[in-house]
Amino acid sequence: MSAAIDIVAVTKTYDGRTRAVDAVDMAIREGEFFSLLGPSGCGKTTTLRMIAGFETPTEGTIAVGGADVTHVPAHKRDMGMVFQNYALFPHRSVGENVGFGLRMRGMDRAMIARKVTDALAQVELVGYEDRRPGQLSGGQQQRVALARAIVIEPRVLLCDEPLGALDKKLRQSMQFELKQLQRKLGLTMVFVTHDQEEALAMSDRIAVMNAGKVEQIGTPSEIYDRPGTRFVADFIGDTNLFRGEVIRTGGTCVLRVDSDLSIELAEEPGTIGPLSVALRPEKIVLTAPGAHAGQGLDGIVESANFQGGSVLYRIEAAGRRLLAQQPNNGSHELFQAGAAVALRWTPSDIVILKD
Amino acid sequence: MKATRASVSPIAWLIAPSALLFALFFFLPMGLMALISVLSGNPVVQSNVTFTGKYYARILSDSYYFEVIWTTIRIGLFTTLAALLVGYPLAHWMARIRGRTAYALLMMSVLTPMLTGIVVRTFAWMALLSDKGAINQTLTGLGLIAKPLSLMYNEFSIVLGLTHIYIPYMVLTLVGVIGRIDERLEHAAQNLGASPLRAFFEVTLPLSLPGILAGSLLVFALAISAYVTPILMGGFQIMTLPMLIYQQISSSFNVGFAAALGMVLLAISLALIIAYNRILGMISGQRDLQ
Ligand SMILES: Nc1ncnc2c1ncn2[C@@H]1O[C@H](COP(=O)(O)OP(=O)(O)O)[C@@H](O)[C@H]1O
Ligand SMILES: [Mg+2]
Repeated sequence: MSAAIDIVAVTKTYDGRTRAVDAVDMAIREGEFFSLLGPSGCGKTTTLRMIAGFETPTEGTIAVGGADVTHVPAHKRDMGMVFQNYALFPHRSVGENVGFGLRMRGMDRAMIARKVTDALAQVELVGYEDRRPGQLSGGQQQRVALARAIVIEPRVLLCDEPLGALDKKLRQSMQFELKQLQRKLGLTMVFVTHDQEEALAMSDRIAVMNAGKVEQIGTPSEIYDRPGTRFVADFIGDTNLFRGEVIRTGGTCVLRVDSDLSIELAEEPGTIGPLSVALRPEKIVLTAPGAHAGQGLDGIVESANFQGGSVLYRIEAAGRRLLAQQPNNGSHELFQAGAAVALRWTPSDIVILKD
Repeated sequence: MKATRASVSPIAWLIAPSALLFALFFFLPMGLMALISVLSGNPVVQSNVTFTGKYYARILSDSYYFEVIWTTIRIGLFTTLAALLVGYPLAHWMARIRGRTAYALLMMSVLTPMLTGIVVRTFAWMALLSDKGAINQTLTGLGLIAKPLSLMYNEFSIVLGLTHIYIPYMVLTLVGVIGRIDERLEHAAQNLGASPLRAFFEVTLPLSLPGILAGSLLVFALAISAYVTPILMGGFQIMTLPMLIYQQISSSFNVGFAAALGMVLLAISLALIIAYNRILGMISGQRDLQ
């Protein structure tokens, strides 16, 4: 039923010069929730459209379930797709929309009616068969689009920013339901989004894309905790980025950023020349100055942004601005703007990045 | 009284001039024409004018007039059909084309017939279609036909000439409508297993019906009221209603009869338009179309 997707060295240019997708490799596993994450224009939709068969790769191959489909037309690929704006047929009822794929497969009317009812039950839209898409709310249209895609029992479900148009609350509940459904049906899912929180929350694995290239593929925690490149570290979540020269003295390795700031590295970077590292705000511990222990800096709180479960501080230290996040759980001292603080972290929280 | 004056929306003043124009140049002439068609003479120059149905009776009693009316409608229908069959693929192509230059070139080629004078256009068709024209010369030269095909001065050439000039109206109307249909709807249909052709018939065609309707009505109305092209392309061999009406006014001075013919043309057009609208609405299942 579900199938793996192998994308090998795929490049796409629309105009023969600029590469919308540039030498991309992805091995998407059977039954996996796989997200394509990246800023607008990085080639996510183009990649998805090539998987769906609406575009042909300029170079490279795409295989589904082991069979090369690079030149198979879209209507023979047996994939479900939820479009960015849902793309429901406005001149057909909800029931006809959902039953469309089954009708194209030559199924008889009674069978179609039963499957449509089942699919609408899956997305909790029983009794909406006779409505027109125009009479539904955004969230309901989204569910119809989903029902229409899953009713054909596709080998792969492709989603292009399916939740982008929904308000925050609805989006969160739909994220949950979509994930539930995917797991229940054991679907291979390729999910396009530019929303990093969404990708981190839902995916088994994420491919972070930038300017047509894949920057990193990994599980949400790998992507977040061990970003491979400067772009990934910067794009996913808040982060403190440093760039400097590696200086090796005795057994330790230090990144010299400037005369005010040197950062101890837990591991040998293995490269020479300038290097970038990242430090997540929540890995920094803030204390009152004086109690020195571990790597750190002294600074002044520029602003304290209360976020409920945590406080995000902007801190002026070593001639630059750093972000630090402290949980609001009673075990951390809270500081006001203007307060002097000490910033502490352990060298193993420093992540070495490729450019 | 103050309240009523205040409630007159300022928009009304903007609409007023066009409403006045519409009344003056549309309803008034139409009403006068209807009136003249049932009067025994011109009340301005004649006294003791009475109401009469004699003009309509004359149309009904002579099958010649029926012939002319039918010819006119037939030409209108064929022209509309031809313009639709040629115009739709062209409009679809234009609506979906990605390059700006390509679009501009297509648009220019669509508009050329409107930019050439009717005499030039007619002579061009004559050079192509007449017995000694390019087409017949070629076919005879190749030995495919023994004697020239009669391509000019008949209904065929009239339909051809009319289609040529009225295609832009069809194309421009359709481009607007097809261009607004989201391409992703076709993709969605293909994704669900419809071949590109099937996707077109299931999605794009039904959604473009309003454009087909508008374009067809426009071309039909233009074609049945055309005067110069049927004369030049038909070489006075074919009589259409506008020619007959002109003849009644200019040579027979029979304004009442001309008015009655005009009313008949109007009634038939309206009936056809309503029927066409209904049929398209039924096919597409879109009640909101009407
Ligand atoms: N149909 C197209 N024709 C030409 N260029 C395109 C087309 N679709 C996308 N592009 C270009 O390809 C790049 C990637 O686009 P896309 O895949 O839509 O990005 P994303 O979905 O990540 O926002 C962009 O620079 C975009 O302008
Ligand atoms: Mg996109």
